[in-house]
Amino acid sequence: MIYDVCPPTIHLRKGMKVMIGQAVFALLVILSGAPVCPAADTLAAEHIVDTAIRYYRGQSSAAIMDMKIVRPAWSRELSLKAWTKGQKNSLFTIISPPKDEGNGTLKKGDEMWTYNPKINRIIKLPPSMMSQSWMGSDFSNDDLAKSDSIVEDYVHRLIGAEFHEGKRVHVIQCTPKPGAAVVWGKQVLKIREDHILLLQEFYDEDNRLVKFLTGTQIEPVGGKVFPRFWTMQKGTDGRDFTIVAYREVRFDMEIPDDFFTRTSLTNAWR
Amino acid sequence: MSLYSYMAWRNIWRNPRRSLLTMGAIAFATVILIFMLSLQFGNYSTIIDSVVKMRTGHLQVQATGYQENRDIHLAVADPSQVAATLDRAPEVSGFTFRAHAFALVSSDNRSYGTVVTGISDRELTTSSLARTISEGRFLTEDEGAQALVGNILAKNLRVKPGDEVALLGQGLDGSVAATIVTVRGILSSGQDQFDRVSFYIPLPYFQELFGMGEAVHEIVVIAERLEDVAGLKQRLEEEVAGDTGRALRVLDWKELSPGLLEAITLDLMTGFLFYIVLIVVVAFSISNTFIMAIFERKKELGLMLALGSRPARLTGILFLEYGMLTTLGLAAGILIGCLVTLYFGAYGIQIPGMAEMARHYGVPERVFPQLSFLSVGIGSGLVVGISLCTSLIPVWKVRRLRPVPAMAEG
Repeated sequence: MIYDVCPPTIHLRKGMKVMIGQAVFALLVILSGAPVCPAADTLAAEHIVDTAIRYYRGQSSAAIMDMKIVRPAWSRELSLKAWTKGQKNSLFTIISPPKDEGNGTLKKGDEMWTYNPKINRIIKLPPSMMSQSWMGSDFSNDDLAKSDSIVEDYVHRLIGAEFHEGKRVHVIQCTPKPGAAVVWGKQVLKIREDHILLLQEFYDEDNRLVKFLTGTQIEPVGGKVFPRFWTMQKGTDGRDFTIVAYREVRFDMEIPDDFFTRTSLTNAWR
Repeated sequence: MSLYSYMAWRNIWRNPRRSLLTMGAIAFATVILIFMLSLQFGNYSTIIDSVVKMRTGHLQVQATGYQENRDIHLAVADPSQVAATLDRAPEVSGFTFRAHAFALVSSDNRSYGTVVTGISDRELTTSSLARTISEGRFLTEDEGAQALVGNILAKNLRVKPGDEVALLGQGLDGSVAATIVTVRGILSSGQDQFDRVSFYIPLPYFQELFGMGEAVHEIVVIAERLEDVAGLKQRLEEEVAGDTGRALRVLDWKELSPGLLEAITLDLMTGFLFYIVLIVVVAFSISNTFIMAIFERKKELGLMLALGSRPARLTGILFLEYGMLTTLGLAAGILIGCLVTLYFGAYGIQIPGMAEMARHYGVPERVFPQLSFLSVGIGSGLVVGISLCTSLIPVWKVRRLRPVPAMAEG
């Protein structure tokens, strides 16, 4: 279990003495009951996050999702088709309600475009809009794209462990690297040992919880074990939240690179 | 005129140069205080007036919580009801409706997030918005897909009147609100933070686009006079907010732009520092002439005591002298102060220190001092207070005067 969190590279090119030292250290760790190995702490944590994000996105994915936005005074439902490939490319398009059908967003690299069929225009989103809400939901444009920013722009640290349905869960605190262009002061992730992201908490600079994402009903979806429901909740009072449910999803199929173009953005919903 | 007043009056003019110097010091202090206070008050009322006319209005009726959250759902559903109340109020000089929504505005290949505002034809009779048009012309309600754009935003989008701008936002029901509007006019308020974001479309078009029905976000009220605001606010609160079970709220300009009030308070505090220094300087110069007068007149005062005057009588005469000096100086000061203030009030004055604050709030850099009972009252009141306090020193000295040594000394 311990070696799970220490990357295997640690053992390479190291003398017997070190090995013994590590064994002793591992023993001490086991005895003390602390599930972390501080020396490789950061690396291990980053590895866990990276693997989880890769697992979440797969090589590629195509899905039909239902989204429900809930507010105290009203709620609204919409359905969308989503395609992702690698860490950078994604395309979302609304398929219902009919009034909004065809509105979509394309994310390629760090750039993002949005399309509206009524005015038949593609508008490039300014970078400042990336943290804005996507179609009025509690998900931001960034959240939906689930880019690799959480791996690249943050320093990761294992801060605890718990159990979920008999499996170990790593609790990882992510703090932004100096100078990284991120809006959050801190994020806390709970990632199960089978790479499933259970919880993602977003904190502002004053360490206040702004919103959190939870994955529930973990079951085989589209050929792999995956939470079917994702809930993004604003604040802690439970009044404002958005649920995304995967109606259908397929992972790791062949999507050509030239699918993620502005042409697809205008046509994908048809 | 009693004997003592006559003696005091004659004493003053026995040494005209000394007395004129004292009166000069008093007059000078009065002029400075009246002018500076008028300038400050004038500046504030210019700033308040321009901010109020340009943006917030004296009062606004909003849905409770809108000021804090700016949520499109927190709207005044039936503005006509409030309008009926406002039509009946005599203190109201004008009112208008506005609605706001966050949206992405985009030209051919540039886009910016901004707040789009729907404005009604009433804007012309209420705010000074129409006066900031630098290119093109103003909107009218029945013109549909037209927009007014702030000059910096227009420059960023690279659009001019006649060009098209795409607008993408979210309606009240959560659906996507998208349209293309033609730029009708460019606004140059001279206030960067305003010209960088302003984007106006006709209110009925706004309501249709964002699915608002008849609802608006702000009912902007301009009162006849700034002094009417507090009373009007209270009445509106009773009638409008009370009727709707606190669903609506009345806010005054201080609540609508708290930064403005803060800036004014800060400026007033810095002003106070200046006034304290001025007061100390004036106090010294007045007390100096008063005390010098006693030293110069020791022999005379000693003689009066020797002739049988009681010290109380002596101090009485001195008080009368100081009172006359102060009155004369003050009268001259008020007269000159008012004339100077009125002159600059008519032609304006450019003050480097205030220019920055003025630019920040988008008001002309030229300041017009405003003569008021308040500025004249505070100014002359301060001067009377100072001379009264300083005159106590020589009076106290006289009470310890003994006839023989005083005469010998002088």
